[in-house]
Amino acid sequence: MARLNTPAARILLGLVVPVLLLIWWQAQSAQGGARALAFVPLQEVGATLAAQIVSGFLLNDVLSTLSRALTGLLLGGLAGTALGVAMAMWRPLDRVVGPLYHAVRQVPLLGWLPLIGLWVGNGDATKLLVVSLAAFYPTVLNSYEGVAAVERRYVEVGSLFGFSPAQRFSHVLLPAALPLILTGFTQALAFAWIATIGTEILLGAPAGLGATMGVAQAQQRMDVILVAILAAALLGFSINHLFARLRRHLLRWQPVLA
Amino acid sequence: MIRRFAQGIAPLLALLLAWQLASASGVFPAQVLVPPSEVAATLARLWQDGELGDHLGTSLFRLVFGFLTGAAIGLAFGAAMALSKLFETLFAPVFQAVRQVPVLAFIPMLVLLLGIEERFKIVVVAVAVFFPVALATFDGVKGIPKAWFEVARLYRTPPLPFITRILLPAAVPPVLTGLRLGLTRGWLVLVACELLAADSGIGQMMEMGRQMFRIDVVLAGVFVSGLVGFGLDRSVKLVERRFARWKEA
Repeated sequence: MARLNTPAARILLGLVVPVLLLIWWQAQSAQGGARALAFVPLQEVGATLAAQIVSGFLLNDVLSTLSRALTGLLLGGLAGTALGVAMAMWRPLDRVVGPLYHAVRQVPLLGWLPLIGLWVGNGDATKLLVVSLAAFYPTVLNSYEGVAAVERRYVEVGSLFGFSPAQRFSHVLLPAALPLILTGFTQALAFAWIATIGTEILLGAPAGLGATMGVAQAQQRMDVILVAILAAALLGFSINHLFARLRRHLLRWQPVLA
Repeated sequence: MIRRFAQGIAPLLALLLAWQLASASGVFPAQVLVPPSEVAATLARLWQDGELGDHLGTSLFRLVFGFLTGAAIGLAFGAAMALSKLFETLFAPVFQAVRQVPVLAFIPMLVLLLGIEERFKIVVVAVAVFFPVALATFDGVKGIPKAWFEVARLYRTPPLPFITRILLPAAVPPVLTGLRLGLTRGWLVLVACELLAADSGIGQMMEMGRQMFRIDVVLAGVFVSGLVGFGLDRSVKLVERRFARWKEA
């Protein structure tokens, strides 16, 4: 088994399963009939991908989905962080809002869609609201935990210096709670991404990866669906990666934990 | 304990009261806001009709079947990846790549592959459950200290006690967390599927309510789906606490 440890062997072995899967898929598509509808030949997927890149269709979808997800992340994340910090700093608010927050959170996210749809229609506002809600939940929880876990000593030093509440927040609480607040945003990013794709599939949109998938499902265009899935996966992976780097940059003052 | 419960329930009651007053004030038309008393009446009526029971039963059946399938495959896959270097080298790249796809994005593809019947819903739930469970099992089994394996070898522990006395207790807490995550995700995805395409289930009940402008039915659905989510999460947490006991000692 020692040979498994060389990088070349690992990469080669790692390619075995994907290649077999692709061969199996291609063989299915060659069967013809109803099967060929679902199992589109790979060259067709490639052709669709190339055509969508050239026409700018894919870029348009990607930008729409991305802007929806990031707007929701920003709105929901900032509101969530503000609420979480406020709840941790001010007990009465925690007593009143805490139980409501935990009750509302039990409903599966997309279960709110019919209700919000009745209230504000099936347009962009509904999608943005659900995406923001997806980003809201984890940021409340993490910023609350972050501020609540700040060591008492730090706060006491602050009060010795006669800090105002605003100074206490910006000089003591925020830096100490930042790691957890950013963890909240990392989770929020993942949820907002899923919520964006989900609402686009369910409600449709003029442009967007999820919307394109929804339309392609109705038109039975598996090639279009696969291109959209590929784009969604690559994009999700890249923004997670970028966000992890941003997080490291923001927390570079922190001693590295073993 | 009772005081904490009262403190937790008081804001909810206050909200219900404010809501009741707001809808009684007549500022909002009935299509926008119905009083909680009416939602409760609708819930009771749906329950007595047996309609709610049917929807709930269908949804839970799909959830349980999908969950069991996805969890079983996830457990086996995660454990195999953690225990066999060869298996990991073969399957980890595909696993990591497919994991990047937001799980709701599988829905259109699976509709084309499987149609929109029961099979499709169960498979979607299974896919949603598989990934967190496989990941947690992999981490859980990988996280067992090497020394424990060595001690077991030194004492010539037979395979069966080795699995039941060492492997399982060490891996179960993280795996349970993965199962809880999978259950929550499965429920989320199932409700989404039922909103999209179904002839029954809690999600379909809500979607029908929306199409007929029956906000009381929609709110009843929101309430029931929240209750189910809460019940699922809470019951796995109870099991988690039971299995984490040895750690505190």
